[in-house]
Amino acid sequence: MRSWDDGKGDRKESLRRLRQALSQSRSDLWRGWKVYRRSLLAVAGLIMVIFVTTISIFADEIAVEHPYRNLQDTEDEWVIDWEPRMKEPRSEECDWHEQKIITNTRSKFFLEEVVAESHNKVGEDNRYYKDTLSVIRIIKIEDSKGYDLNSSLLYIDPANSSILILTPELYNNSTLNLGVWVTYEFNNEAMHHSWLPDGYDVCIFGTTDTGQDLFSKVLYGSRVSLKIGFTVATLTVTIGTIVGSISGYYGGRVDEVIMRFCDIFFAVPGLILAMAFVAALGSVMSLTIPVWFGVLVPILFLVTVTQSYLLSTVLDGDRISDRTMNIVMQYRGPLLSLLCFFFFVGLLPAPAWPEFFGISESLGWRLGAALGIIVVIGAITLADRKFIQNWDFEGASERLADSFDWTNPLRYLSIRTLAIFVAIVVLFRFSNGSGDEIVLIKDFDRLWKIQAALIITGWPGYARLIRGQVLYVKEMNFVEAARSVGAPPGRIMFRHILPNAWAPLLVAFTLDIGGTILSASGLSFIGLGANPGTAEWGILVSESRDDFLYHPHLMLYPGLAIAATVLGFNLLGDGIRDVADPKNRR
Amino acid sequence: MKLHEFVVRRLLLLIPVIVGVVIFTFSVAHLIPADPAATQCGDKCGIIIDYTDDGEPITAYQANRERLGMNEGVDVQFKKYVTRLFEGDWGESETYNRPVLDVVKDAAPITLEMSFFALMIAYPVGITLGILSAVRQDKMFDHVMRFFGIAFVSLPIFWFAMMLQLYFATGSAMGGVCDPIFGTDGGCFPVYGRHDTGFTYPEDGFVWFFPEGGTGFHLVDSWFVSDAKLSTIPDEWNTRWLLFKDTLLHLALPCIALGVSSAGSLLRYMRASLLEVLHEDYVRTARAKGLAESRVILVHACRNALVPIVTILGFSIGGAIGGAVLTETIFAFNGMGRVAVTSITSIDYTVIMGVTLVTSIIFLLSNLIVDITYAIIDPRVRLE
Repeated sequence: MRSWDDGKGDRKESLRRLRQALSQSRSDLWRGWKVYRRSLLAVAGLIMVIFVTTISIFADEIAVEHPYRNLQDTEDEWVIDWEPRMKEPRSEECDWHEQKIITNTRSKFFLEEVVAESHNKVGEDNRYYKDTLSVIRIIKIEDSKGYDLNSSLLYIDPANSSILILTPELYNNSTLNLGVWVTYEFNNEAMHHSWLPDGYDVCIFGTTDTGQDLFSKVLYGSRVSLKIGFTVATLTVTIGTIVGSISGYYGGRVDEVIMRFCDIFFAVPGLILAMAFVAALGSVMSLTIPVWFGVLVPILFLVTVTQSYLLSTVLDGDRISDRTMNIVMQYRGPLLSLLCFFFFVGLLPAPAWPEFFGISESLGWRLGAALGIIVVIGAITLADRKFIQNWDFEGASERLADSFDWTNPLRYLSIRTLAIFVAIVVLFRFSNGSGDEIVLIKDFDRLWKIQAALIITGWPGYARLIRGQVLYVKEMNFVEAARSVGAPPGRIMFRHILPNAWAPLLVAFTLDIGGTILSASGLSFIGLGANPGTAEWGILVSESRDDFLYHPHLMLYPGLAIAATVLGFNLLGDGIRDVADPKNRR
Repeated sequence: MKLHEFVVRRLLLLIPVIVGVVIFTFSVAHLIPADPAATQCGDKCGIIIDYTDDGEPITAYQANRERLGMNEGVDVQFKKYVTRLFEGDWGESETYNRPVLDVVKDAAPITLEMSFFALMIAYPVGITLGILSAVRQDKMFDHVMRFFGIAFVSLPIFWFAMMLQLYFATGSAMGGVCDPIFGTDGGCFPVYGRHDTGFTYPEDGFVWFFPEGGTGFHLVDSWFVSDAKLSTIPDEWNTRWLLFKDTLLHLALPCIALGVSSAGSLLRYMRASLLEVLHEDYVRTARAKGLAESRVILVHACRNALVPIVTILGFSIGGAIGGAVLTETIFAFNGMGRVAVTSITSIDYTVIMGVTLVTSIIFLLSNLIVDITYAIIDPRVRLE
C-alpha cells in the first residue's frame, strides 16, 4: 500500500500541469479578447447581450408591475390593474382612473361618500383586493351613455383625498339613475420610474389593451426568451455533438444511417416542422420516463466506463486474430447485446425490464442489481480479451493498483470523474423511487412544448456541423498518434478531437440562441407558443395585431426587444467567429 | 462522374428521404391528440345509426371509426395511407370541407409565387450590396453593410411585416411615410390581401376573380383572363394591366418582409466569397494585364464568387417557405403557411399530413435543382 508521502512528486507534477493549463487558457482568453475588442460591432453585441441579461435578472427591481403565479403555479398571470387601456407611451392619462359611481338612491349599494379605489387586483395569496387611491383632481364625469356632465357634481373630501362626495344634484337627478363614470387623476407613485425625470416617468412604453404596463411586460418577456434561447441551444448542442461525433468518428454505415435520418429533418422547412411537433406534443402533460429506463442509462454509462478502464490496464493483443475468426465470433459483441436486449425487453418469455426492476422496490436490491450488471459485463469483457483474443494480462494487476493512486487527488480532476459521479447520484436517486415512472418535468406546458419542438428540429443541424469538424480533425496527425498508442475511441473523441473542434461549436451555439428566440417568438405569434396573456414578446406582438395601426406602440417595443436581443447574440457570435477562426476574418 | 450519373445518384438518394418524410408525417399525425372520429360527429356521437347483424347497436362514433379505418392496426393504416397517397386520395379536410389535395393545390402556388418574388428581391439586393461591401473592405460603407447584413437576419419577420404595413400601407395621418414622398393617398401599398375587393365577382364578393383551372400564380393568370370575365367587373378595373398591377402591389410588402433575411445572409456570403476570390492568382493576373478594376471585379472575380452562392439558394427556399407561415398570416394570403397554421390550431390531421408532405417535396425538389445546377456550374462537385 502506498503511503501519502510516496506520491509527492506525482502530486507536484500534476499541480504544475494544472497551473500551466490554467494560465495558458487565461492568456488565450486575454489574447482572444484583444482580437475581439478590435471590432466595434462585436463589442456592441457583447454589450447588448450583457444588457439584456442584466435586465432579465433585475426585472423584479426595474418593473413597476409584476406577474403573480396563479393557483396551479404554472403560468405567469398579470395583475388586473387600474391603468387605462391602450394609452400612448408617457401620456399623462396613465395616472388617470375611471370609476363607476352608483347614483340610484334606491340601490342598496348607494353611498353619498364613495371611496376612490382601483380595479380588482390579485394579491400574493391569489385573492382579489382593491387599492384605495388618493385623488388629486377630478377630470370629467360622464353619464352611462358617455355624455359629459358638469364636473362640479362631485368633489373631493378636503379631509381625506380618497373620498369623493356626491352632491344632491347628482343623486336627485332621476335621468342619471344608471350611474355615472368619473375620471380622476390619482397619486400613482408606485407606477412611476424613479430613475426618469418628471413627465417621462410613467408608462414609458404605454399600456396594453388590458391596461397593463407594457414596459414591465417587455422586461419580464426577456426572461422567457432568454430561458428558451439558452435551454434550447444547450440541449441541441449537446445532442448534436454526441450524434455528430459518433457519426463522424465511426463513419461507414453508422454515418450513412444517421445522415439519412438527419436528411428527413432537413427535408421539412424548419418552422413547419416545429409546428407539427408542437401539435404532436399536445397531449403530453408531464414529461416522465419509466423507472427502468432512468436506471438503465446510468448503468450503461458506468458499464462503458468500467469496461474502458479495465481494458486500459491490459496490453493490446494481436489484432490479426480478429480477421481470422468466423462471422459469428467477429460480431459476438453486438450479438450478445442483442440477446440481452431481447431477454430483458421481454420478447422472450423472460422477466421484462419493468418487472425486473419491480421485483423489489428496496434501494439496496436495485443498487445491488446495478452493481452486479456492471461487474458481470466487465468480467465478460475481460474474459473475452483473455480467452478469445489472447491479450497479454501480464502485469495487469500492478497497473490496476497503480491507477488507483489515491495519494494524488489531482488525477481525478476530470470531466469523466464528474460524469461518473453524476451517474452514480442519478442511479441512487432513481433507484429510490417507488412508482413506475420518474417525473422529469412536472408541468409540460406550452413553453416547454415549443422548447421541445425546437430541440427536436434543431439537433440535426449541429450533428452535421460537428460531423464535418470531426471528419476534418480526424485526419490530423495527433489523432493518428493517439490511435497508434492505443487510446480508446471515447478518449480520442473527447480529449483529442472535440477540443480542437470547439470553435465552430461555440459560434453556432451563440448564433443559435438568437435563432431560437426568433423561432420561439414566431411560434408564439401564430398562437402555438406561450399562453395568451403571458409576458412573451411574440405574444405581445400578436396581441397588438387587432389595432396596431392605431396603437403602434403595442407592437413597436416588444418587436424592438426581439430584434435587439437577437441582433446582440448574432453580433456576439460573429465576433467570436472572428476570434476563433482568423482565416475567415474579413 | 458524368452529369447524368450525378443526377441519377441524387434522384436515388431522394427516395429514402421521401419515404422517411411519409413515415414521419404519418407518425406525427398519429401522435396528435385528437380523435378525428369524435370531432366528425361532434355532440351526436352517441346516436345509434345502425345495427349489426347480431342486433348490436352501432353509434355514429363507431361508424366513423370504422369508416376512417381506425379500428385496424397501425401497419394496416399506414399501408392504406401510402396506397391512397399514390391514388391521389389524400383524405377529406374537416375545416375546409374539401379534399386535402384540392386545398393544397390551391394553396401551393400562392406560397411559391410569394417565395419566388421574395428571392427575386433578395438576390439582386444581397449580391449587389455584398459586392459593394467587399470592394470597399474595411471602409465605413463596409462596416455599415456588415451591420445591416446581421441586422436583417435578426429581424423577426412578423414584426418587420407589421412595421412595413404601418409605414408603407397607411396614410400620413397614421404614420405612413409614403404620402408626402409619392403623393399617394393612403400609402403606397395595400395593407393585406391578394387583390383589391374590386377584383372579385360583384355578385358574391368572396369568389376570386381569377379563372378556375388557371395556374394559380395570379401574376401569370392576370394576363390570361378571358374577356367575358373581364367584363363582369367594374369599369375602372377591367384591364389586364390593372389586374397585373394590383396583384404586384399586393405582393410587394409580403415579399419584402420575406426576402429581407435572405438578403442579409446573401450579403454576408457574397462579401466573404468575393473577398476570398480577390486573393486568387487569376485576379492578380487580370489586374496585371491592365484591365479596368470594374471589369476585374465584375467579370473575373464575381463569376467565381457567385458559384458557392448557388448553394445558399437551397437554404433560402426553405427559409422562405417557413417564413411564409408568418407573412401569410399577417397579409391574409391563403397559402400553404396559412393552411398549416389553420390545420394545426384546429387539429385537422389530414391537412397537416398533406401540407407537411407537399412543403417538404417542394423543398426537396428545389434543393435537387440547386444541386444539379451547382454540378453543372462547378464540375468538381461531381467527383465526390
